Amino acid sequence: MRLRRVVVLLRKEFLQGPKNFMFVWALVAPILISLTISLAFGSLFSNETTLGIVDQGDSQLVELLDESTVSSREYSSVFALENAVAEGAVDGGLVLPNGFDSAIAMHQEIAVDFYLWGESLAKDRTLLTVTLTNLVRELAGSESPVEIQTITLGDEEAIPWEDRLLPFVVLLTVFVAGIALPGTSLLMEKEKKTIDALVVTPTGLREVFVSKGVLGVIMGTLMGVVILVINQALGSEPGLLIMILFLGSISASLAGLLMAALFDNTVTFFANIKMIGLILYAPVIIYLFPSLPQWIGKIFPTYYIIQPVVEVSQRGGGLMQILPEISVLIALNVGLAALVAFVVTRKKQYAV
Amino acid sequence: MNWQSIRAIIIKDLSLFSRNQFFAVITLLGLGAYIAIYFVMPSTVDESVDIGIYAPVVPSSLQQLQESGQGLDLVSAESEEELRQGVAENDYIAGVVLPADIEEKFESQEPAEIKLYFTSDTPEDTIEFIDFLITEVAYLETGQYLAVEWQQEILGPDMVGTQIPPRDKLRSLFAVLIMVTETFALASLIGEEIEKRTGQALLVTPMTVRDLFTAKAIVGVMLAFSQALLFVLVVGGLSEQPLIILTALILGAVLVTGVGFLMASLGKDFLTTMVWGVPVLIIFSIPAIGIMMPGAVSDWIKIIPSYYVTDTMYQASIFGSGWGSVGDNLLILVAFNVVFLSAGILTLRRRFQ
Repeated sequence: MRLRRVVVLLRKEFLQGPKNFMFVWALVAPILISLTISLAFGSLFSNETTLGIVDQGDSQLVELLDESTVSSREYSSVFALENAVAEGAVDGGLVLPNGFDSAIAMHQEIAVDFYLWGESLAKDRTLLTVTLTNLVRELAGSESPVEIQTITLGDEEAIPWEDRLLPFVVLLTVFVAGIALPGTSLLMEKEKKTIDALVVTPTGLREVFVSKGVLGVIMGTLMGVVILVINQALGSEPGLLIMILFLGSISASLAGLLMAALFDNTVTFFANIKMIGLILYAPVIIYLFPSLPQWIGKIFPTYYIIQPVVEVSQRGGGLMQILPEISVLIALNVGLAALVAFVVTRKKQYAV
Repeated sequence: MNWQSIRAIIIKDLSLFSRNQFFAVITLLGLGAYIAIYFVMPSTVDESVDIGIYAPVVPSSLQQLQESGQGLDLVSAESEEELRQGVAENDYIAGVVLPADIEEKFESQEPAEIKLYFTSDTPEDTIEFIDFLITEVAYLETGQYLAVEWQQEILGPDMVGTQIPPRDKLRSLFAVLIMVTETFALASLIGEEIEKRTGQALLVTPMTVRDLFTAKAIVGVMLAFSQALLFVLVVGGLSEQPLIILTALILGAVLVTGVGFLMASLGKDFLTTMVWGVPVLIIFSIPAIGIMMPGAVSDWIKIIPSYYVTDTMYQASIFGSGWGSVGDNLLILVAFNVVFLSAGILTLRRRFQ
């Protein structure tokens, strides 16, 4: 095997790549999905109760609401507020009239328009009413008749949905680039018979496989790093994370090459990727739901990519904490590499 | 029109579709996955907050809150230890311990000491809410009523007690996804026919261009409609206004067939069809996501044709809206269908020629 030929083939892959849908998709899809999760799913699963406000008299209540945990948005007119409530953009809408603060200070009775979205949950309605009532009492300077002592049980931390979904995006990124890029590239060469032309030159089948595998490893690692940067999850050990992504991309590329060697066309290749999708993403599903027995994840090979990423990026772990998983991942890579080498040797014997 | 030729083409295309491993797998897997996701999701909406309480003497205002049923479910514990255990095991989101002398403290205007138990992963807003709730109860017990009258007005149909489960909101999204995915198959089949020039070969037989497009359109509508119908049938989506929902699905199937024609005229094979198909899938999903996250998208989504399918399905199946309410949606959908089918046929005809 000549390294120079591998470099020439790799250069061709990078030059021709942008003309291929899978290449562009491998770059764009993870970023799109990551942004969608950050923007949309974060708020979809958070169940945050929101309040819209129209402040007609520069009330201090607006500042108190900003300091509270209730999410609030100001609207310029009652009409805009009513629309926002009717559409469900906010759960409730409050119109604070001019002179509200002075009426409160003088303990005068005052009526305040309070809109509620028809589909808002009963608990959210109670939460908004109780929060507003308490903040108005604070504004009026009332002295609380109770002393509350808050006691916390256990030491588990709440993991936001956005963070729980991060392993899914990382895995998707590494596998879209790692499996699909070398896989489709090899299959397209098979379909267009260009691989037959290649192997009659001094370039061997092994060099073709290595160049396509390296493409998947580079792109998988690179896009994995991009996703971690976008999600601000590089943490204090970026070097360690890059190493995990590199090893994960090697697994993905080897899997992609193996499948491409075994199947004859892109359609069968994608059909089989769909079928093994559940095996690939099973550890992520188990991680998403902490109530499930977490040991089940260890059965699946992708666990040994996901677990180190989560440990380092979200739990601040170091090399010693992830050493067992990394060792298994390296062993898996060696096994896969041996399998690919075996398949390449057989293909060489019986033609492509 | 030569219906015998049309029938032959339909049978040939359906046979090719069933023999294509990728489309067969994604069709079965997709349908199975959407149905499984639907049934795994909760069928009801929990509108109340469960709070555990250990109180030798329960203040009357707290009892009134429990009886009013306004999103609070108070669960009594026999002891503080039982309460702690209940919180730790997530039987309720918070545990409240009221002292035995609470009434005396209130009467003597002395601050009563109250303990609140939470697990460490309880969100900040929940802790603040329970704190505010208990403080408000104390204010009411000490006779300190607020001079503010919250004049409540409910905007839109009041759904308290009859909330829509998220899985039912997802129904129209799944139906649209199923239909759009089927256009990949149609576009891929036509694209390959153009590339292999089998379409041109057909046109030298007594079959006309019109026959060919009619056959392809029927295949597209059949593929998209049958699967979307199967999905809504399994998930019980036809229980309200079935005729309107069936009409919306048929019109939706015609729409995606028009889009499929356009995709086929742009793509050459499976991969290039995907280049155009994936953005279509994403764009067509946006209106349904708007149903899941109200307020996140504004009126501009009405320029996306799939809005009229999802909105009609949502209005009819959830609120039981009739022809009068969704008639405009269906008419606009017909107009979109005419535009997309005409554009699709025109561009395809150019490629065939």
